[in-house]
Amino acid sequence: MITILQIEDNFANKILVERVLAPHNYRLLHAADGETGMSLALSEKVDLVLVDMGLPDIDGQTIVTMMKQIPELDGIPIIAITAWPIDTAQEMAERYGCDGLITKPIDVKSFPDQIKAFLTPNNP
Amino acid sequence: MRLVSADNFNFDEITEAYNQSRVDYLVPMPMNTARLKEYARVYDVDLKRSFVAVRGDTKLGLIMLGIRDNRSWITRLGVLPAGRRQGTGNYLMEACIAEAHQAEHTQLWLEVIKGNAPAHRLFTKHGFYETRELIVARRPPGPQELVVENIKQITTLEQDEILILLAHRRQRPNWLNETESFQNIHNLSGILVELDNGGRGWVAYRASLLQLTHIVVEVAAGDPTEVTAAVLYALHQRHKRQDAVAENLPEDEQWLGFQQAGYFDSFRRIEMLKEM
Repeated sequence: MITILQIEDNFANKILVERVLAPHNYRLLHAADGETGMSLALSEKVDLVLVDMGLPDIDGQTIVTMMKQIPELDGIPIIAITAWPIDTAQEMAERYGCDGLITKPIDVKSFPDQIKAFLTPNNP
Repeated sequence: MRLVSADNFNFDEITEAYNQSRVDYLVPMPMNTARLKEYARVYDVDLKRSFVAVRGDTKLGLIMLGIRDNRSWITRLGVLPAGRRQGTGNYLMEACIAEAHQAEHTQLWLEVIKGNAPAHRLFTKHGFYETRELIVARRPPGPQELVVENIKQITTLEQDEILILLAHRRQRPNWLNETESFQNIHNLSGILVELDNGGRGWVAYRASLLQLTHIVVEVAAGDPTEVTAAVLYALHQRHKRQDAVAENLPEDEQWLGFQQAGYFDSFRRIEMLKEM
């Protein structure tokens, strides 16, 4: 089963992602802060990471930076999720080496397809 | 609606209220309790002179006031969803301005994120005017594109040396970067960089395991852009793995040096002042 780690401090956003992805049979893990997210990423076999850029303990950008430096996480797509204005968000995601960007609020119709595409980048 | 001094609440309660106020903010910046506590300590926030607006047991909004000498600084103003469209922000602003008056402060400062028109209107209504635009810049770690080959010497600075240099800067720093903030930082670092051509500059910063923050660069001699870039090059040669955040930089020749060293404009703040 494909495992998705969602690092998101906002409870409502967490629930929304869970509900939207529920019919798609993913194993969803959740962390409410960056430290817990890092810990789960290292202890669980994760296939995709969704990182909110605004986290209460460590900036989302810094989490991405850390994950990109850990060999065990090499090749795992890291997707930035943010409510920042699109131009800023795109530059942030690109500069920090994110593998994709999804802006908030998520589009509940297209979100599952976006996730699927990130999981199979060469065969969307 | 009534106002309660913020020191009647513990930091967990204040943090929860603050995060609720920022749920749908232009640039969401949630904090955990430790982070907000550190923020209040470093920036001299006085909880006795800060307020939480409440109705019954429901928190509606909050505002914090930093105090240094005869100046004060409004920060973390936020209105929770339960307090929206009821004049909560206005009420909190009036209270903080009254506090500053009572303390006989001559200047009241704040920053607003560029593009936050409702907040800007609120501050203008209360007599604040714009003083300058400031950049919040970031630099991810990684190999440096910039190559600086004319560095003659790099000297590590002691904390007391850094504080002396900070106190003698040419340009007025923003509240976040004032010397008082650095006096409150425990593990302050700094390096002085000298170039072959006589250029000289220094950087003060705080290095944690993951991040470089509180980055301030000053050019003592030479071209501001060249020396800034060289100083930052030396900094990131020493700290190759950390993410870097430089807050509230003016858009000047030094900013070009920051950009050459790999920093980019993350978002901007408008600094505002009310003369009392």
